[in-house]
Amino acid sequence: MDASTDYQVKLEVFQGPLDLLLFLIRKKKIDIHDIPIATVTREYLKYLNQKERINLDREAEFLLIAALLIYIKSQMLLPREKPLEDEKDPRQILVNRLLDYQRIKAASSLLREKEEEELLKWKRSFLPHLLQEDAMDYIEISLFDLGESFFVLMKKKEREGIKTIKGKEYSLEEKMKEILAFLEANEFLDFLDYFSQAESFEEALVSFLGLLELIKARIVIALQESHFQPIKVWLRRKERLTNN
Amino acid sequence: MENRLKEIIESLIFISLEPLTLEKIKSVLTEFKQEEIEQAIKELLDTYVSNERGIQIIHSGGGLLFSTKPEHDSFIKRLLKIERKGKLSSAALETLSAIAYHQPITLAEISALRGVDSSSTLKTLLQKRLVKIVGRKKSPGNPLIYRTSEKFLTYFGLNTIKDLPSPEELSKILDEEDIPEEEDIAEQ
Repeated sequence: MDASTDYQVKLEVFQGPLDLLLFLIRKKKIDIHDIPIATVTREYLKYLNQKERINLDREAEFLLIAALLIYIKSQMLLPREKPLEDEKDPRQILVNRLLDYQRIKAASSLLREKEEEELLKWKRSFLPHLLQEDAMDYIEISLFDLGESFFVLMKKKEREGIKTIKGKEYSLEEKMKEILAFLEANEFLDFLDYFSQAESFEEALVSFLGLLELIKARIVIALQESHFQPIKVWLRRKERLTNN
Repeated sequence: MENRLKEIIESLIFISLEPLTLEKIKSVLTEFKQEEIEQAIKELLDTYVSNERGIQIIHSGGGLLFSTKPEHDSFIKRLLKIERKGKLSSAALETLSAIAYHQPITLAEISALRGVDSSSTLKTLLQKRLVKIVGRKKSPGNPLIYRTSEKFLTYFGLNTIKDLPSPEELSKILDEEDIPEEEDIAEQ
């Protein structure tokens, strides 16, 4: 199986340069204690040449590994009066680091198993899970993302070309109360939905400012399951949970 | 009398949101002998193992805690309208194991072990209260030192940190699993 073509997609597999090196060593089925630098380096170059697109982070890690390997090689090439002691041998240092790292990897897959077991057991202190702010995979989005979403939406509304007759004043405080009331009644507020319901640009704008105030006061939190997914606003519940 | 003690302990565990430690139980039930309490706990746990109940009492985070049985997970999710529970990212897990096995540890040491900067992962772990700051290291720059928290234990269903396999055992696992793991990674 040619793994080199698909690891661009599977970035999750790698955590860092050590991970990458470990992977290459494993793929070659080489004993970790005997890292053939030339082979591994050749492997990198082959992979690099195959690629049409470049992922900068990944390539930076490649470079770090390559540099490390070249450093080791150069150390080995230098003539020395006395052979190096074990703990100064750059290969040994690398091997030790890799072994340490390998243990961490093993431990983390073990923790994953434990986590999966535990997630099946519901405990009272973890209830209600959905309302907890640290729903683990969510991304807390920045105010800029929120602002951008808002303006995209407003542009869209503008294109609909609906004319409204003015006459209503919106107060920030009222809007904040409205948002909170909505959140008390519903689990969460869908950002786009909520603002599309606004009658006018003024209303949406005041609501948006209210929302920003609430986020700033850490009363609510805006989360997203992943990028390009709908933004959802939740009440922060931590205090309430621990007080119960 | 003994039955009553069993019931009392059960109610104490039920009402406690955090794992209830043996010490705590003993400190509350001063009118009972320590051996009586221990015996009653044992019997109480037995009734849950043998009984046809949806809940159980588990040892977790150094104490006793009620939890649902794993096989009812899908129904509970339906009730709570949850499709899946969030899991930790693999970066977070790796950082946690680095801390668990090398604690007390500084951020720089974690990053060195993993080969990548771990500051943002560490920050999330702190927010989730899976790790805690325990002080500063007396070395240049006085960096903060970290340990895994009590919540770490409960989260992974461990009773004490000693429940984790020792580094020697890990090496053994690695030796045994070397070949299947290779395939694992290649397939991913």
